[in-house]
This record gives sequence, structure tokens and C-alpha cells, in this order.
Amino acid sequence: MSVVSATYRLHSISKRFIRSLSAVSAHNSLKTPSTRHRVEACIRNRQFSCYPRALRSENKVTVSFINRDGEKVTVKGSPGDSLLDVVIDQDLDIDGFGACEGTLACSTCHLIFEEDVYKQLGPITDEEMDMLDLAYGLSDTSRLGCQVCLTKSLEGMTVRVPESVSDMRQSDFGTTSSSS
Amino acid sequence: MKLKKSTKQALRVSGRSASPLIKWVEKWLESAASPKRAETHQVKSLEEMPGPSVCSFAWDLFAKRGLSRLHELQLEGRKRYGPVWKASFGPILTVHVADPALIEQVLRQEGQHPMRSDLSSWKDYRQLRGHGYGLLTSEGEEWQAVRSLLAKHMLRPRAVEAYDGILNGVVSDLLAKLQLRSQQSPRGLVRDIATELYRFGLEGISSVLFESRIGCLDAQVPPETERFIQSINTMFVMTLLTMAMPGWLHRIFTRPWDTFCQCWDYMFQFAKGHIDQRLQEEAKRLARGEEVEGRYLTYYLSQQGLPLKTVYSNVTELLLAGVDTISGTMSWSLYELARHQGVQAALRDEVLGVLRGREVPGAADVAQMPLLKAVVKEVLRLYPVIPGNGRVITDRDIQVGGYLIPKSTLITLCHYATSRDEKMFSNPDEFLPQRWLRRDQGHHPYASVPFGVGKRSCIGRRIAELELYLALAQILIHFEVRPDPDAEAVRPMTRTLLVPQTEINLQFIKR
Repeated sequence: MSVVSATYRLHSISKRFIRSLSAVSAHNSLKTPSTRHRVEACIRNRQFSCYPRALRSENKVTVSFINRDGEKVTVKGSPGDSLLDVVIDQDLDIDGFGACEGTLACSTCHLIFEEDVYKQLGPITDEEMDMLDLAYGLSDTSRLGCQVCLTKSLEGMTVRVPESVSDMRQSDFGTTSSSS
Repeated sequence: MKLKKSTKQALRVSGRSASPLIKWVEKWLESAASPKRAETHQVKSLEEMPGPSVCSFAWDLFAKRGLSRLHELQLEGRKRYGPVWKASFGPILTVHVADPALIEQVLRQEGQHPMRSDLSSWKDYRQLRGHGYGLLTSEGEEWQAVRSLLAKHMLRPRAVEAYDGILNGVVSDLLAKLQLRSQQSPRGLVRDIATELYRFGLEGISSVLFESRIGCLDAQVPPETERFIQSINTMFVMTLLTMAMPGWLHRIFTRPWDTFCQCWDYMFQFAKGHIDQRLQEEAKRLARGEEVEGRYLTYYLSQQGLPLKTVYSNVTELLLAGVDTISGTMSWSLYELARHQGVQAALRDEVLGVLRGREVPGAADVAQMPLLKAVVKEVLRLYPVIPGNGRVITDRDIQVGGYLIPKSTLITLCHYATSRDEKMFSNPDEFLPQRWLRRDQGHHPYASVPFGVGKRSCIGRRIAELELYLALAQILIHFEVRPDPDAEAVRPMTRTLLVPQTEINLQFIKR
């Protein structure tokens, strides 16, 4: 047990350290003009939600989710929507996803991004970081789906749904450290 | 006499006096029905789990002040039995879990509608009086409906930011009160700061619930608010006592249960008075043709077509949940900052640096104060307001730490034990907020989770954090906080919640 938890800790230390470095670089990149345009575009696009549907559909963003069983599902969402909104609106079947309904009280909407996409995402707040620390199967490019909003520049991105605790439970959950 | 009779009924209904034999037979039948599952996993049964005998634990609880030392019993239990042990808390058998990885295992299996405890004197009281249930006591779909509604207004970052104005109003009243109190003493000494901080807590949560002020921090304190605060404190003492007492003892000593009920009666009455008054004001404004758009929690609740008694019970529970929690955490924060002048000076520099000459911080400012957040995290690690939380998994047996825990067993999550564990935190009894400034430190993420985790975690968390940040920042701008030179160290004690055992006296020197 102690070996398992020690290994876990080492693993977790390195992951979290890398993640905080990436978060810093993401934060710095917010100051570049291109990102500022992106933020403004996001705000402008949000307003489109009051416009007729035809106009809105032109601005849809395509996102692919790789489910826990490896299946890829491609859907469209509106700029300004969070990835949790997309999962709910598109009725994607991901067990236990978004348990706290986007109120930053759990980490069940945890998603893993491609590295270059991760760097493009906005800065991560302390509150989200704290919740991510509690996430299952944390990676260097993890974020909470409820805190990531769609923008045009994220068009075509692919996000991965990490293995869930219930997948573990079917094998030998309870006899090993749940976090290793 | 009538009360006694109905008490008996309440206890019977809740199942606390159910015959242990029947329960044992039920459990035996259930395990006999699925013997293979246990064999294949080679897990141990509840019977094999270590723990004190019923008599020795009862002796600890009643004869050795165990009820107020429940947090210490967690440390003793882990040392003696390991990370998982069982103990009978009065008539209730509970499995203690005191390892972060195992706490994580329990919380990850809590299901769609997590339940804290199904045998609670709080629920018994509501049933007895025919009151509704609030977020702390309701379960299932009923709980989910109110949780979804309130979480939108209480937890979402955008929604929380909107409370900084009204909370700052409460903070400025606290500053004035501290100034007044410190001027009344030659050395600026404010005795028993918790008294003022209880009032601060109640005023804060009231402002958020009613969007109006109730005068707790006025020079002349309204007597009903004092009685409300006293009722909360007494109710918390009686909560543990009434739960630990077996049914037959209740029939001999009726006083704890009677007192417990009287406290709740007053709390419900207090909340109802304020809700009725507020809703009448709105009705009058509507009648005059004015537009009404409330931005307070009671309004949101009352607009959902919920039965009025559900509004009453929810507001009562939110009111009480915002008092001791804020008061305790503020008391400990100021106590530790007074004893660690270096941290206090660094924190003051951080606050002044972010504000750059402005007097009043807002929500966006405190977001840029990492040391302030680290101080609050460290205080809650040392003094978790909820030293032990409960979970009941009702729909299936679960495995934790190599044991099969039968469904509907009360599981006690020993947060105090894990957050004071030297394997998780070096110098675990020391106040070292710096440890939270680097994220690459080596503790398990579930070692200190003072607000709980997941959909049943503290709904007031974000508002409480904002309130603490705003208050601590402003206190440090205006005062130098020093320990009472004559005072000894203050230790925590359990009163359902973890609170200071003795008065905390501090000097507030005006800057």
C-alpha cells in the first residue's frame, strides 16, 4: 500500500508540476494580440445566440470526443458554449459526466486535450486547478469541460474522455490505489 | 410527556431503536445470497474489521469527554487499528476511514444522490414537527431539485462575484465593531473574538439570503440574533449527545432531546420571521405596481413554486450553516496570523500590492492573492470545520481498503486525521501556509478536503471563501493583529463542528 501511494505521489507531483508550467505559459500567451482577438471574438459570438438560427449555424464549432471505449463522436457546438454544454445539448452518453452541473464542485467533466490545443485554451483559475487535482486519471493537458468555452479557433479539436472510476471498479477497484 | 412520547415515535421511525438482531439477520441473508462475489475478491468482511468494543468506545465517549474529543479519537483509532476500523457510536455502527486514497474510493462510489447519513437526529426532529427538509437533511430527488437551483446562484464563479458588494458592507461593519471593542480596552484587546465573528457570520449569510441587513454588528445587538446564535451552539452540542445515546437512555434522560428540539424550534421560528417579512415587502411592492427583481437566495427559492415549508427549512439550514463555519475559520485565521507575524506582514504586503491605494478589495482582487488563499487552506487543514463527514451508500455493497462494506453502513470520513497526517504534510501541526503556494508538493489530493468533494460538497463554499478573503484582507489593512500576551495556546474541540476549546483573545492595533 505504501509503495503504491509513494509511486502515486511521485507520479502526481510530476504531472502537477508540468501542468502548472503549462498553465503559466497559457496565461502569458493571453497577452498576445491574436489571443485577445480570440477573446473578443468569443464575446461577439456569444451575442450571436440572439440572432436567427441560420446565421448561428455558420458559426458552429466542430468538436470530436473520443469516448472511454475509444469511439470517436463528432458534434457541433456554438461559440461561447462550454464543453459540458455541448455534451448535454448533444446528448452524448458519458456516464457520470458533469455531476455538479458546471458549478465547479466536482471533477467529473474532466477532459484531456491535445497539447497544442491545450496551450490555446484560456488561463486556468485556482479554483479549477484545485478541482482538477481531485480528478481521476489526471494528465498534463487536463481541463474541466465546464470551464472551457468554444471559440472559432478551436474548430476541429479532438478531446478525450479519460477512463472513469467505474471502468476500474469492474476490474479490481478497491484492492489497489484508486489513483495509480 | 407528550414530547417524550413523540420522541420515542421519532426514534422508532428513524430505525435507531430497531433491534440489532433483525438487522443482523437481514445482513446475513443478504450476504448469504451473494457468497461468490466475496470469495472471488478475497475481501474481508465487516466482522473481521478491527475496532474498539461497544463498551470501551461508549466509555471513551461518555466518561472520557470523547464527544468533544472525537477529532482526537480519529488519530487514536488510526494509530491503533490502521486506516479502517469500526466503532459503535451509541446505537449506530460506523466504519471509520482515515486514509486519503480510501476516502477517495468512498467518494467516487457515492452515486447519483449522495447521502450523508440516514440516521440523524436532525431528520428525526423535522419528522416530529412536520417541518420540511433543507439541503442538509433532504435526500434523493427532493435534495437534487433544490441543490441544482441553489448551486447555480451559490457556486458558479460568476454568480459568486456578484456578492462582493453586499459582503463588503458586512465587512465594514465588522471593522467598525472591532475598532469599537479594541478602543474599550487599554491595550486594544478584544476578548473572545468568536462572539463578534458569530455575529459577522450570521449577518453575512443573512445578507446573501435576504439581501437586507439584520443588525447583528450594531453597537446594540438585537436580542433575537443572540438567541439564534446560542440556539445553534446548543443544538450542535446536543446533536452528538442525542445521537450517541441509545433509545432506552433517552427515556430516562429526556433533557438532551428536549433541549435539542427547543433550539431547532427557535431557529425555524427566527428564519420564518425573516422570510415572511421579506416576502411581504415584495408583495407590497408588487401591489404598488413596482418591478420586483430580487437577487437573493430566498427570492430564488420562493419563485420556484416550492412549498413554503421547503423554503423555510432550506433558509433555516443555510442560516445555521453560515455561522459557526465562518466564525470558526475566521477565529483560527486571526489567531494563527497573530502568532505568525511574518506571515501576517507578507499577507498585508500582498493585499496592499494588489489594491495599489484602493481601500476595498473586490472579488477580482482576491483572485490575485495567492498567499491569502494559502492561509485559508492551511487554516482549514489544521482546523477543518467538519472534522469528520459521513456517507451512506444505499444501493450496493462497496469495497474499501480490502473490506466489503455492506450497503447502508454509515461510513465516517476522518478528514481531521488525514489533514494532520505527517505522511501527507511535513510538520502537520505547524501553521505553514507556504506549503500551499507550490502545487508540486507531495500530499494526496484527498488529504485535505475541508468542503468535501462532489455534488454533495458544501454549497456555501465559494461564498464563504469570498467572505473570508474580503474580511481578512480588510482587517489586515486596518489593524495589526497581535496575540494576547497573557494567553495560552488554544486547542480545538468537537461540537459536531470543530471549534476553539477556549476563548481567543487578540489585540487589534489600529494602523
